[in-house]
Formats: sequence, C-alpha cells, structure tokens
Amino acid sequence: MILNYIKIAFRTLRKNKGYSFLNIFGLAIGITCASLIFLWVEDEVSFDSDFSKQDQVYYVPTHQEYDGEWRTFNSTPGPFAEAMKAEIPGIVKASRTKHRDFLFAVNDNAINSGGRFVDEDFITIFSLKFVEGYAKEAFNNPEAIVITQETAEQLYGKNTKVLGKVLKVDNTDNYLITGVIENLPKNVTFPINWIAPFERWSGDKEWTNGYGSFFADTFVELSPEADFNAVNDQVLGLLEKKTGDSDSKAFLHSIKDWHLRGNFENGKQVGGRIDSVRLFTIIALIILLIACINFMNLSTARSEKRANEVGVRKAMGSGRSRLIFQFISEALILSFIATLVSVLLLFILLPQFNLLIERNLVLGLAEPLHIIFLLGITLVCGVFAGLYPAFYLSSFNPVEVLKGLKVTQGSATFIRKGLVVGQFTISIVFIICTILVYQQIQHVKNRDLGFDKDQLISLNVNGTMIEKFDVIKQDLIHTGAVSSVGLNNSGILNGGNNGSNLTWTGGTDTEDILIFFRYISSDFLETAGMKLAEGRGFSENVAKDSSSVLITESFAKLMGTGSAIGKKVIRDDTYTVIGVVKDYLFEDMYGQSDPVLFFNYLGESSYMYLKTNPNIEPNEMLSKVEAVMKKHNPAFPFEYSFVDDAFNAKFRSEQLIGKLSQLFALLAILISCLGLFGLAAYTAEQRSKEIGVRKVLGASVAGIVKLLSKDFLKLVGLSIVIAIPMAWYVIDNWLQNYAYRIEINWWIFVIAGFVAIVIAMITVSFQAIKAALANPVDSLKTE
Amino acid sequence: MIQITDLEKFYKTEEVQTIALNKLSFNVKEGEFVAIMGPSGCGKSTLLNILGLLDDPDGGSFMFNGTEVAGYNERKRSELRKHNIGFVFQSFNLIDELTVFENVELPLIYTGVKPAERKQQVEAVLEKMQIMHRRNHFPQQLSGGQQQRVAVARAVVNKPKLILADEPTGNLDSTNGNEVMDLLIDLNEAGTTIIMVTHSEHDAKYSHRIIRMLDGQKVTENILA
Repeated sequence: MILNYIKIAFRTLRKNKGYSFLNIFGLAIGITCASLIFLWVEDEVSFDSDFSKQDQVYYVPTHQEYDGEWRTFNSTPGPFAEAMKAEIPGIVKASRTKHRDFLFAVNDNAINSGGRFVDEDFITIFSLKFVEGYAKEAFNNPEAIVITQETAEQLYGKNTKVLGKVLKVDNTDNYLITGVIENLPKNVTFPINWIAPFERWSGDKEWTNGYGSFFADTFVELSPEADFNAVNDQVLGLLEKKTGDSDSKAFLHSIKDWHLRGNFENGKQVGGRIDSVRLFTIIALIILLIACINFMNLSTARSEKRANEVGVRKAMGSGRSRLIFQFISEALILSFIATLVSVLLLFILLPQFNLLIERNLVLGLAEPLHIIFLLGITLVCGVFAGLYPAFYLSSFNPVEVLKGLKVTQGSATFIRKGLVVGQFTISIVFIICTILVYQQIQHVKNRDLGFDKDQLISLNVNGTMIEKFDVIKQDLIHTGAVSSVGLNNSGILNGGNNGSNLTWTGGTDTEDILIFFRYISSDFLETAGMKLAEGRGFSENVAKDSSSVLITESFAKLMGTGSAIGKKVIRDDTYTVIGVVKDYLFEDMYGQSDPVLFFNYLGESSYMYLKTNPNIEPNEMLSKVEAVMKKHNPAFPFEYSFVDDAFNAKFRSEQLIGKLSQLFALLAILISCLGLFGLAAYTAEQRSKEIGVRKVLGASVAGIVKLLSKDFLKLVGLSIVIAIPMAWYVIDNWLQNYAYRIEINWWIFVIAGFVAIVIAMITVSFQAIKAALANPVDSLKTE
Repeated sequence: MIQITDLEKFYKTEEVQTIALNKLSFNVKEGEFVAIMGPSGCGKSTLLNILGLLDDPDGGSFMFNGTEVAGYNERKRSELRKHNIGFVFQSFNLIDELTVFENVELPLIYTGVKPAERKQQVEAVLEKMQIMHRRNHFPQQLSGGQQQRVAVARAVVNKPKLILADEPTGNLDSTNGNEVMDLLIDLNEAGTTIIMVTHSEHDAKYSHRIIRMLDGQKVTENILA
C-alpha cells in the first residue's frame, strides 16, 4: 500500500515537473532558511554551556544609582569577592579577576594574548583541566602563569613540554609557567588564553584593596545545595553593609544568562541577545509557514486533476481516511525531497551566511541533533502542508467527480485566496521592516557625532610611547601621512573612566551626577575633530594647564546659565574651566551625550590617535606610521585600528538584524512568488476555454492579461492594507529601543506596496500573457 | 439480489429542486443481466450510483442481498462496495499515474489481498482480457478499447457478485464495443449479475431484461430471454 503511494507520488511529480519544481523548491528554500536560523540559534544558545557547573557559577555585576536611575556595571570592588565567600554561607568559591592583554615573546615569536589575573578559586569555578602541572600547585609561586594548550603551541610549537619555562611578558616581566590547561570551548563569554595570580597585578595598587573603586570582574561558585534566592539577597545587601551606601548593589548573574540575557535597565534584567534569538526563531517559522502555504495552494488548485483519481479510488473501496493518509504520505515524500535539496543548498549557502553574520557555523550532518532537526522539519512540513489538501481532496464526492462534473471549489478558492493574502502580507511586512531598519541604521550612522571618525586611526599605548610622545609626533607628522596626533586615556567611542562625588560652581546636588573623565594631550581635540564652543583648548605646555579643565556643553549646562569659562570644578583638587567642547557621542550611539571632564595629563594615556592624510593611500600611510613606531617603540608589534571600523562594529547587532531582514524579505517574496506563479498557471489553464471563447469573440491580448491579472492584484492590494498596520506596529516597537530614532514616513509604505504590486504583476502577467497568446483553437477543441 | 422499493432521490440547487428518482421500484435476481435505458436526465446514472453504493437515496428502500442498505454511512457502504461490486465507466476512469497492472491491482489492495496472491489474480484476469502484454503500459499508451478492457479487468478482478456498467461502449467504436459486450456476456454466463446503463439498443439486446425509464420512473420492462 505504502509502496503504491510512493509510486504514485513519484509519477505525479515526474508528470508535473513544473508544479513539482515550484513545490519542492519553495519548500526547500523555507527549510534552508529555517536550518540556517536553527544553526545560528544553536550557536547562540551554546555559549558557556560547556562549563560543567551550570547551576552554580555566577558573575557578580553591580547596579549603581545615579540621579535616581540604576545603571549596571561589570565591576565590583577588590575585597568584595573574599567578603562574599567569608560571610555568605552558600558561596564556596570566589575570585576577583582583571583582564589584560599581554605581549608574550619567545625568541622572535611574539604574540598578543588576552587573559586574566585571577584568584586561585577561578581554577575550580571554571573546572579548568590541567594537561601539564597541577591545579593545586599552580599558584604557589607568585610569578606563576598558567597558559592554554593553544597558547603553548603558538609560543613553543607542538609537543613541547613547557612546564617550568620562563616567559617574557611585555618585554619587561618574567613569568614562570606552572601549568598548561586545556583550551576553553569555542563559545565563551569570558575567553582567556592565560591566568596569573591576582596579586601580581594588584600588588602595587593600594586602591584595589578598598571599597572605593569598582574595577574587578568577580566570579563565584555556589554550593550545590545553596538556595539561589537566599544567597542573592545576601549579595544584594553586602555592599551597603560594607560601605554604608545604599546606591550600589551587587547581584548574581547566572552563567546561563551571560550571553543571552545580559541587558539591564534601571536595575532590572531586560533581555539581550535572547531577543534576537526569539525574533529570528519566529521569522524562521513564518518563512516555513509561507513555504507550506505554497504547497497547500498548489495542491488544492490542481485538485481537479486529482479528482478523478479520488473518485476511482473511492469507487474501488478506499475509505476517506485511507485517501487522507495517501495524500499526507505524498506531501511527506515531497517534503523529504525538499529537505534533501535544502541540505544541498545549505552546503552552498552556509559559507556566505557565515560571512554575513560573522560566525563560523558548521552543518554537522553527523550530529544527532541536526539529523533530528532535519527529520523533524520534514515531518512537520509534510504533515502541516499536506493536511489541508488531504482533507480537501479526500472530501470529493465520487459520484460528481466520476460524472466529470467540475468540482465546486467554493470554500477551497476562498481559503486559497486567504492564504495568498497571508503570504503577501508577511512579505510586505518584511519589505517595510527591511527598509525601516536600514533607514534607522543609516540615520544613526550619519548622526553628528561631535567628532570626525574618518581618517582617524588608534594605536594602543605601550612601551615608551608616552615618554617619547613628542618625537613620535614630530616624526609622524614629518612623514606627511599624518596631520595631527593626540593621546587619550580612553577609547574615543568608549564610556571608560567615570565617577561621581564632584562639586562645581553653579550646580546643586552635584555629587550624584555621573561624570566621564578624559586625560588627553593638548592636540587630541584637533586630532579627533572636536570643536570648541567657547574658550580655548589645552596648551602644549602641560605644566601650564595642570589645574585647568575642559568640559563638554552638557557639563556646562549643569553649571547653570552664562559662560562656563572661569568656573571651578572640584575633584579632590580645584580646577578652572578654560574651554567648553561641543557635545560628542560615546558608548551609546543612540543615546544622549553624557557630560565629560577633560584633564591635561599624559600619564594615564592608553590610546594614541592619528589623523591621517586622505590623499595618501591607506597602505602607504600605514607603512610610514609603522616605520616610525618601530623606530621609537621596537619591542612591541605595530597594531592599529580604524575608528570608523570600530564605529561600525558598534552597530553589529543592528546590522545583523538589517542584513537578515533583507535576506528574509527576499526569501519570503521569492517563495510567495513561486506560489503565485503556480496559481496563475493553473488559473490560466482552468480558464483556457473561457479565454478561447473570448478571443474568438474578439477580446484583445491586453484585455485578457488584464482579466487574468486583476484578481491576483486585488489580493495583493488587500495584503498591503493588512500589512501596513502590522509593519507599523512591529517597527514602532523596535524603534522604541532607541532614543535617537527615525520618524516612520508614509512613503515607505507606498514604496513597499508598489514593490509588492510590481513583483506580483510580473509573476502573474507572465502566465497571463502566455495564456492570452495561445491559439484559441487548441483550447476549444479539447472539450 | 437487489430489491428497490419506492426509491427517491432529489437534487437541489439554489432555486429549483429536481426529482431524479421518483418512487422507483424493481428487483434484480442473482445472475441476471439487466439493461437500463432512457433519455438523458431520466435518472439512469443516479440509479446506478445508488445501486453502486456511491450515493445514498433520499427515500425508499434498497435491499442488497437481503440487507437494508439505504441510510448506510460512507464507511459501511465502502466496505460493502469493495467486496461485492465492480464498476465499468463510459470514460474508463483509469488512474493515469498507474500502469495497467497497478490499476487492476487497486481493488485487491483495498480489500487487503496479500501481494503474491494479488499478482496471481491480476495476471489471471489480464490474461483473460488479453491485455497481458500491455501490463506495464500506462493508460495513455493504450487505445480506447484496450483501456476499457483494463477497466473491465479491474471491475472483475475482485470477483464481485455485481457489475455496474455505465455506458461501457459509449466511447468506443463498434468493433471495440462488441468486444467489451462479449466480455460482459462471458462474465454474466459465469454467474456475475450485471446491471448496465446504455443508450444503445444494440447493446441492450445482449441483456435478459430491459428497463426503460423516464423522469425518474420506470415506464416499461421488456423481458428478452
């Protein structure tokens, strides 16, 4: 029996090649799309999941209150880890950590490598596995360093025992390798290539011992029996207990939430990447739905062709359930073929998709989960897509169909039209969203930042760059590739160093306001293209301006009306405002400009900014800059980044949404058009006799094309009407996430509607013209 | 075998109700060959559909082998049908996607006959109908006469007690038509009851009895043999 179905299914497919192609290809695109999203979601969900203590490991961020609003920071005071472990019974392990980038050098082999200074508990918390040395002894030596296998191989080559070797760090310090650990899994939120005892870093920093500075990334492990809520309540109260201030609260953030639920707003967890994961899962389902709708439409549309078969089978004694079973089996076979095609498509498309989303996803056909997914999707698509046609086809009355009566398709036609409207509604929503997401991204990218990100490169300050700043600057400008050079303690796009408890002239309750601090050289403003609103910048003579400060306009507003020049700012010492810088954006490109206070001080510099000459080729410019840096700072590799690249990276998640919504809009339209194409073909076929008669009676080709296209265009028109409010709602919700956002323009909807109509018209008119041009004699004599 | 009494069937459209069968009564004995004749629209096909358990009457009684089957639901009708009744249609109604062999095999599949046995029975009947050499062809590759022979083969493969033929020669030329009628006579002589709807006086003469209908009623009955 099954064999009979399979046979008939394959013969039907072969006999109706065009129809089969539309059906299989449409479904295959849907399945491919869903599979890509599945792989991406799987990757997202897998973050940190390879660590064994999923229910016990927590990160400890802090909520801090400024101006009545709680902000969340990834830092805690130095002694907090030890205090939690000592005073909260459920916490059995705790480690302070501090991230650093090291320059490791072994002979000529030098690599930059990120890692952490940690407390010994860190090893247990993350169950780090030692392949050389022992966890218990690793931190016995204060000069110890533990590196990953990968780092060991990069430095010493494969299969070299490295235990006990002395490793030169930043060309100045010696570390003793006391252990080699297995590499961390691929997807981790806090990657490390090495760990070293925390005291090695904090030893000479007295301020790390008090509660005044929040700087450490702190991790804890709870005992398996611990009650999370009870422990978390104690963590929440502990900072106040220690400092007497109620405006800072540490809390536990589960390892399971690090990657996907990392956003906080006013002290509340508000999602994070999980939102994108959810969004795209829904989109995958919608695309699958569109593909299944195609199947239903095409199957029921051509039901007349199958009606006779249904009649015969019923007359031969087949019950309805058997027919339903038969048609669902056929749908399953079809969806199985579609899955095979989509595996092929995945092979071709995955590398492109990886480029698009900047990941390295693999198809992994040997993985049971992937096989289950593919089989599951085959089953779901087959049954879902086949159900309606099966019930519909099997309901035919054998008496009528065998008599050759036309099957009355009243309800089916209605449902089919509804499904087409559904498909096009979704497609149009996608088109509208794509345009608006693109607009929003462009809107922010073209925003006046308050500085000029173009032709601006940044170098990490290391070695002797600060001492030799003047000669380096001179030599750089001398090359002609660079027009200006400035130093800053913080990345120009980053939030960086900030604090409160300041007082200033003209302000009230100033202690609560969060101010961002920048330590810059005199020419930083010029280099970054920042403009002065009033007053002057720092002079080249640092000593002369050691008690002067610059402020931004938003800071000046906090000082009340009138010129800010000459007003005082007190932060331990008293400083005089000599200039007001126009507001500029950092950290959150969608938000407002936070107040910034500039000091004229080079000692804290972490970044050197170069304004480059646009008339010189980037490669030539870089080699000239590199030559100068090698000359003055030979021990360090030359590394640079373009500020506009870093700026673009800030929009990564928006751009991902943008790119993916483009892709999905395209696919949704493509699948919908495949379906429409098929429907148009069948309508034309069904009405071929009518067309023949009309032509014989003198109808023009244009008239017939219009006749056939009109009905479909009405459906697309209806879709537009439904899609507009839906798209409006969706995009308006999305835009609420951004303080700086576009207005939704009505003409976007006009364009989207127009695009949909044009696409539908092209699709339908192809069939309509074909039918209209056919010789009426052929269609009339068949009767 | 068949006793129908006061059988009624109506068709309703939005505006008019048409009476297809108007208190029709007659009997058919086992082994009989009955021809039903009458102009288009007299209710012949409706009657055949009811006799074939494809359709349900709106009134009256229909005894099949002594059991009242009027009012049976689709499941019961389907069950009774597949074991007892074979159909031959004017337009053959073969399934285009199945080969000759598979088309004939279909009723056996629905009655749950084992594959090996099916093969044997199908081959036997194809042999008898002299279309064995065409067993792997598809319907479109056959002439009209050949297609109708396949249809007859399919109707009889299950060894039904009753064969209902709806203008079996209507789409055939006279040579092929006569061949098909000869097949039906053979079957009847072997004991199968046959009820045939036809427009052809020539074909009707092969039967034992001709029932003539008009407007859903029996008008005359001629006994030929």
